[in-house]
Amino acid sequence: MIDFTRFTLDNGMRLLVHVDTNTPMAAFNLMYNVGSRDESPDKTGFAHLFEHLMFGGSVNAPDFDDPIQLAGGENNAFTNNDVTSYYQVLPAENLETAFWLESDRMLNLSFDRKVLNVQRKVVVEEFKETCLNEPYGDVFHHLSEMAYKVHPYRWPTIGLVPEHVEKARMADVRSFFGKHYRPNNAVLVVCGNVEPETVRAMAVKWFGDIPAGKIPVRDLPAEPPQKDAVFRIARGNVPNEALYLAFHCPARMERDYYVVDLLSDILGNGPSSRLYRRLLKERELFTSVDCYITGSADPGLFIIEGKPAEGVTLEKAEDAIWEEIAMLRKELVPDRELEKIKNKAEATLIFSELSVLNKAINLAFFEILGDGSWINEEEGIYNSITATDLRRMAGSMLVPENCSRLYYKPKEEQQVEPVAAESLAQ
Amino acid sequence: MLDRSKAPIIHPIDKIDLPEPRVVRLDNGIPVYVTDMVAQDAVRLEMVFDAGRTAERKPLAARTTAALLKEGTSRYSSAVIAEMLDFYGASLSFPFQPDSSNLVLFSLGRHLPHLLPLMEDLLEDPVFPEEELRQFIQRNQKMLLEELTKVDAVAYRQITEAFFGESHPYGYNSSVAMYGELTRNDLVDHFERCYTADSCSIFISGSVDGQYLDLLNRTLGRLSRRGDPGAVIPPPPAAVPKKYKYVVPGTLQTAIRVGSPLFNRRHPDYPGFYVLNTILGGYFGSRLMQNIREDKGYTYNIYSTSEHMLHGGCFYIATEVGHGYAAATLKEIYLEMARLCEEPVEEEELTMVRNYLIGQLLTTVDGPFNISEVVRGLIQEGLPADFQNRMAAVIRTITPAEITKLAQKYLARENQWEVVVSNSN
Repeated sequence: MIDFTRFTLDNGMRLLVHVDTNTPMAAFNLMYNVGSRDESPDKTGFAHLFEHLMFGGSVNAPDFDDPIQLAGGENNAFTNNDVTSYYQVLPAENLETAFWLESDRMLNLSFDRKVLNVQRKVVVEEFKETCLNEPYGDVFHHLSEMAYKVHPYRWPTIGLVPEHVEKARMADVRSFFGKHYRPNNAVLVVCGNVEPETVRAMAVKWFGDIPAGKIPVRDLPAEPPQKDAVFRIARGNVPNEALYLAFHCPARMERDYYVVDLLSDILGNGPSSRLYRRLLKERELFTSVDCYITGSADPGLFIIEGKPAEGVTLEKAEDAIWEEIAMLRKELVPDRELEKIKNKAEATLIFSELSVLNKAINLAFFEILGDGSWINEEEGIYNSITATDLRRMAGSMLVPENCSRLYYKPKEEQQVEPVAAESLAQ
Repeated sequence: MLDRSKAPIIHPIDKIDLPEPRVVRLDNGIPVYVTDMVAQDAVRLEMVFDAGRTAERKPLAARTTAALLKEGTSRYSSAVIAEMLDFYGASLSFPFQPDSSNLVLFSLGRHLPHLLPLMEDLLEDPVFPEEELRQFIQRNQKMLLEELTKVDAVAYRQITEAFFGESHPYGYNSSVAMYGELTRNDLVDHFERCYTADSCSIFISGSVDGQYLDLLNRTLGRLSRRGDPGAVIPPPPAAVPKKYKYVVPGTLQTAIRVGSPLFNRRHPDYPGFYVLNTILGGYFGSRLMQNIREDKGYTYNIYSTSEHMLHGGCFYIATEVGHGYAAATLKEIYLEMARLCEEPVEEEELTMVRNYLIGQLLTTVDGPFNISEVVRGLIQEGLPADFQNRMAAVIRTITPAEITKLAQKYLARENQWEVVVSNSN
């Protein structure tokens, strides 16, 4: 159980405070309700590039990192499809430093040309390091593009191609900031060795006078149900073949999201999961196999991936996965197995509550999705799930016409092209 | 009207409280270090055996023995063991350590009565099935081939091998052939010799009440093997620095490693070097990061770090950059090292590093699991119980002149090894 107090400032900014006296630290997490799904298709990767620019200094704090480090703290940020989050973990007595810095960049970000020039290069190198130069690093480019036709999840957060990032102009930066980085589009969560009233007073002091903005209404096209199976063969600089099956699955705040989460656990979580035990260990069809869900706010993907063992074709490996799926569609999961995955889900929840930063990020995400107290509902939802629920969702979701199938193969000759650009041309 | 130009006052952190662990001994003599803090019903149990690479009689025996402990005992098959661990929501892992073999179990406290007897069985009566070994070797050979396509993985392998030598316990690298030579007898030998009560310590943390300790004694307190694993003190590292170039075809970035062999954490220079390394590349405000990423934009990430084993250590700078930036990056790396050897650090920068590092020390005592890991390090490496506070004292008082002296001793260009992995010569 995570108790918290919620305050709303006059400008519409929400503040959630959770007290945890088992730590000398405090976690401060400011989450903006903007992610790569809010980008236009010709300027992808922008939300993430912008996250880098937020560290370029503000009027009263020309260097963002120095004061945090002086206060004995650490800070970082992440961007995903749905949100952009800035967090700092610091000794609880120095919490106010985070308020000062974070409010100053919301109010007075410097729009420095040099920062933009350098961070464009940094992000292009990040693109290379994580996607283009990493074996299988562009898989999400392929899967997103195959599974989504209209919804902006069709490009990954890093961007469709490096060229979009290289093209970003200062005018784009200013307009993005003005539209999305407003107090009424943000949720602040503070967790740690703190007093809620003191934290509220700090929030009023530092954020209270920042004017609210007019936040554009998010009107994203819903992805229509997939009608036909999609298949693609990708090639890259990899030594081993790999296969990926991606199925559309429910949105984060639906009860069925938790049903498919447990389905993914049955298939892929832990050394006794079905894919690992039966296909990797017993039948020796794979050298690695996994199953997971993307967990996005709008309907996401349920992904099965694996690398076939020596001498096993991708086709044979895939057939074995479909046999396991057929069993889930037909037969009820036995009681002990259901209890097992619920026990695992419970342990995962409890262990995730041991870190103040984890709690702060999760609370902020649920508050953005509608209600922070959802965090305390999860255990009950997992417990209510039955074997019939699992079979029903397997039956409706794990079907070929809801699936994007990707085969990844080594390049026939060693020849390098930017792979994302290649996928664009198709 | 709020004056935003005035930053909030920063409070100095006076004390790093590392609660002293309670030590109890099991009936077979295994010491148990208990860090008991009630938060959730969550427990972390770490077992440390002197069964690392320094105790090996064949390369890769340590890693493989640890990995196969959970793949079958006389009583339980691999599948049953996996199902029991999952059923009780536990995770069991074997984090790699060069000087020891460690088992880390995360579990809810209430499931320990089921899990500790299983742990006892894994460590008293494993059978190391031939079939499981064959599969393990095949999977790891295949994963290794994948690793070797990554420039960063190749660079790390080559620089550590260059420091210590290709048959040194801290330096050797796995190869497909090396996996192929492993037999079941190698694992049995390593296990029988090394996984003894005499070579074991236990670190348990979380909500650990007396009941669990009693249970520990009735399970792990019955482990019966005795004796000294006979770990060796490895020879000193190579003496003459060298430069190496490697090619991984088709890559888009060049991986760079620059560094040199170092000491263990008992060395008197360790705390000062820790401060020096932080200034050079140990945090976001570091010189390498500020110059090469934040000013030049050559890379997404650059850092320097040190690794410390029982009988030595090493230090290296690591980055991946676009091929076109490789030469310029190397130039800037050596420039930053030279600056530290030549110019005293300004007090402003040093104050920031001092405060940052004290905050980092504070995070190491944040919660029972972190504390227990600190305690494990101190015990394993033979460091004094007040080591954290000694570190804090050096961090607060080290002078710019002392930092320059350390830089001249450890960062001089002629003493550095260099590995560059690229797509062509």
